[in-house]
Amino acid sequence: MVSINDFNGYPPTWCPGCGNWAIGVAIKTALTQLNFSPSSIVAVFGIGCSGNMNDFLNAYAIHSLHGRAIPNAIGIKLANHNLRVLAIVGDGDCYGEGGNHFIHACRGNHDITVIVHDNRVYGLTTGQVAPTAQKGFQSKSTPAGIIEVPLDPLSLAIISGATFVSQVFAGETIQMIEIIKKAIQHQGFSLVNVLQPCVSFNKVNTYQYYKERIFKLDKNHNPKNKQQALMIASSILEEKFPLGIIYQSEELAYHQQLKQLESGQTLISRPRFNNFEAIFKNFI
Amino acid sequence: MTFTWKIGGEAGFGIMTTGLVFSKIASRLGYKIFDFIEYPSLIRGGHNAYEVRISDEDVKAPAPFIDCLVCLNLDTLKKHQKRLQTSSLVIYDEEDFQAEGNFQKISVPYNKIIKKNQGPTVMKNTIALGASLALLGGDFEILEKIIEEQFKNKGEKIIDFNKKFAFDGYQHIIKNYPNQIKPILKKIKKEDQLVLSGNDAFSLASVIADCRMYVAYPMTPASSVLATLASWQEKTGMIVRHAEDEISVINTAIGSSFAGARSAVGTSGGGFALMVEAIALAGITETPLVIFLSQRPGPATGMPTWTEQGDLLFAINAGHGEFPKIVLAPGDAEEMIELTAKAYNLADIYQTPVIIMSDMHLSESHFSVSLDFINKFIANYSVDRGKTIKLEDLKNSNLPKKFYNLNQNSQFQNFLRYQITEDGISLRLLPGEEGYYYQANSYEHLENGHTTEEGDQRREQVNKRNRKIITYLKNHFQIPKVYGDLAKAEIIFVSWGSTKGAVIEAQKILAKSSKSTAFIHFNHLYPLAKEKINHLFLTNKKYVLVENNSWGQLGKLLMQEIGIEIKEKILKYDGRQITPEEIINSL
Repeated sequence: MVSINDFNGYPPTWCPGCGNWAIGVAIKTALTQLNFSPSSIVAVFGIGCSGNMNDFLNAYAIHSLHGRAIPNAIGIKLANHNLRVLAIVGDGDCYGEGGNHFIHACRGNHDITVIVHDNRVYGLTTGQVAPTAQKGFQSKSTPAGIIEVPLDPLSLAIISGATFVSQVFAGETIQMIEIIKKAIQHQGFSLVNVLQPCVSFNKVNTYQYYKERIFKLDKNHNPKNKQQALMIASSILEEKFPLGIIYQSEELAYHQQLKQLESGQTLISRPRFNNFEAIFKNFI
Repeated sequence: MTFTWKIGGEAGFGIMTTGLVFSKIASRLGYKIFDFIEYPSLIRGGHNAYEVRISDEDVKAPAPFIDCLVCLNLDTLKKHQKRLQTSSLVIYDEEDFQAEGNFQKISVPYNKIIKKNQGPTVMKNTIALGASLALLGGDFEILEKIIEEQFKNKGEKIIDFNKKFAFDGYQHIIKNYPNQIKPILKKIKKEDQLVLSGNDAFSLASVIADCRMYVAYPMTPASSVLATLASWQEKTGMIVRHAEDEISVINTAIGSSFAGARSAVGTSGGGFALMVEAIALAGITETPLVIFLSQRPGPATGMPTWTEQGDLLFAINAGHGEFPKIVLAPGDAEEMIELTAKAYNLADIYQTPVIIMSDMHLSESHFSVSLDFINKFIANYSVDRGKTIKLEDLKNSNLPKKFYNLNQNSQFQNFLRYQITEDGISLRLLPGEEGYYYQANSYEHLENGHTTEEGDQRREQVNKRNRKIITYLKNHFQIPKVYGDLAKAEIIFVSWGSTKGAVIEAQKILAKSSKSTAFIHFNHLYPLAKEKINHLFLTNKKYVLVENNSWGQLGKLLMQEIGIEIKEKILKYDGRQITPEEIINSL
């Protein structure tokens, strides 16, 4: 049996009170409860405080470049689709530097789970504004307040073709574990946007701030209804934060639509091609 | 025997397809071919041209004169007239224009034939091909067969329709110009051969080397590799991904390579520039990767459809920080096959990026490659994955005693992915193997992959990675090939990559006027083993650097790496490939 201890790497170096602690525990708990082991998953980390989880979570992993975890994750999944692949990234990392990859990974419905630590600031570089920050947010890079409006990651994911779009709050651990489990089990692109206070560099979006503005989805919410999902997702722009699975649909994942993988064998395990005669014909 | 045929016309008039068919006809008859194309970065309008040189012996560069020029418009004649002789045949339609000049005029009524057969104007090329074949003494059957193959998916009707135009062009010559017919295209078949462009050769060699993942974003002149490998993917089983940008391209390939699939990416200068950060990622995570870099004139968008060797110094320096990287630059299609297949092995053995450099000239020109050469190459090639291991290999007693950090609290052990070794190369266990785990880390790391900022450990890992360079120079670096006799030569040419064909052709011409030359051709460009190369540079000889760029980048590299300065330089940088005549005239 795999226990949560098997996933425990080096002691974390996050600030006391940081939401990352809860996210780290939730990820390990979800993996343990789903019976995964450090050998059966691959995690790809971006660069930032979230990415530093690389040393605290035992698993096959790439600690990648800033913004590039998603394409790494796609490559891993295509090469060996038997592996469960997680991209553990930050808001600036995934929605800023890697924004293009995020959109296109949604479009491809690649079977990866993207867990975004959304604290609305850049923590590791000591407090500049992130793409999810509220308009007017003052930071080291925007002393007069940010002019741009915040990016709405949930709506962006839904309209781009993601098939599992969810949001959780780092202060609600039990729901966070449940949603992460469902995201990992989902076939196709799954997004878990984690609202997370940064105790050191964000004095606005605190635990208290979120507690006053989060709301659980209505029991009658139908995650298959795209219009309804978009309506709920965009309430972020009014500083109201829905928690739960906002949108989910069943579509074939990218790798499931590749003829090359139809036999079920992975790309790395199939026999070597050797019918060269069939190729020579093109050149005679 | 050597003969040059050239066809020109407006973009959109099927010049490329027609030219390639001509090359294939000559190849099927047993001739060696070399062809190249000239086209602007446009889909319609502008001038397209395709030149084929055929010979009964090996040929890898153009000839000075055009023996048969097929004009689908007046522009073609104007642009290429200076390379005609009085014996040159010029095919055109006198209804389009009156050809003026001292050459053999062959009027073929494209327009009348099109009207008669009720076809679109684009059929001009098929008529011209039929006429060319007749004029060069070829049998019509060979063209018929190619038309049947080309259109076999489109049905009998389309096949017959195309044949009609070709036949009318052919018959027009037989009836009206019987005395002008030259016995050029007579069958001399010796051995089966393929007509391969540099890009075709890279694609084919990637399949031979068992590359399983190719990722790219279209960029001239590398795009045809993406199209070719994609068209084969259901047959070969390779996954070909057209990603959203070149940053995603290379990072996808790093992911798939990390997971165990032989992976490659392809691009030109601009796309390569976007990949540079991730090349460093492959360097520090020690992830094997083959990068196909087909150059075109820069900077920035430059001249997209023309040629230059302007990215050598960029390629060898690509990536921030210091890490081993291997750069190879084949000179022709055979070398492209050999070095591409070798690149995949080197990437796996040294667990580092390997760059294959091409350029528009090599990528899009076609060469004759004997089927026997390829079959022998395939038979002798073996996939060498270096220190990549599987779980069962861990029981092998040859392994180091300690290959993981014992974790007392868990049954899962931290594999030492970056273990310090004498040759600099560590064992690579593929992710997913039960009982172990490790991370590939873009931060500096310990032997177990975990992040470190300690000075000693940093130095140990830097030294380990650097030792891979020493191991490579000892085991796999190849000294440049020398064509001719260095001791006897009056002039010694030095060049790299695609300029090989032109220099060898220049040597042949110079030999006829009793000028003895030698030629040092570099295709293993970086890193360079000084002590293995020094002896090629003699103190009392005249060395001439030949490059398709304005800086003499190989010259700078040789200065930097082995302290040798070549003062005489023949450099060309107008977007066109240097020709043998230009080399000779510059001496």
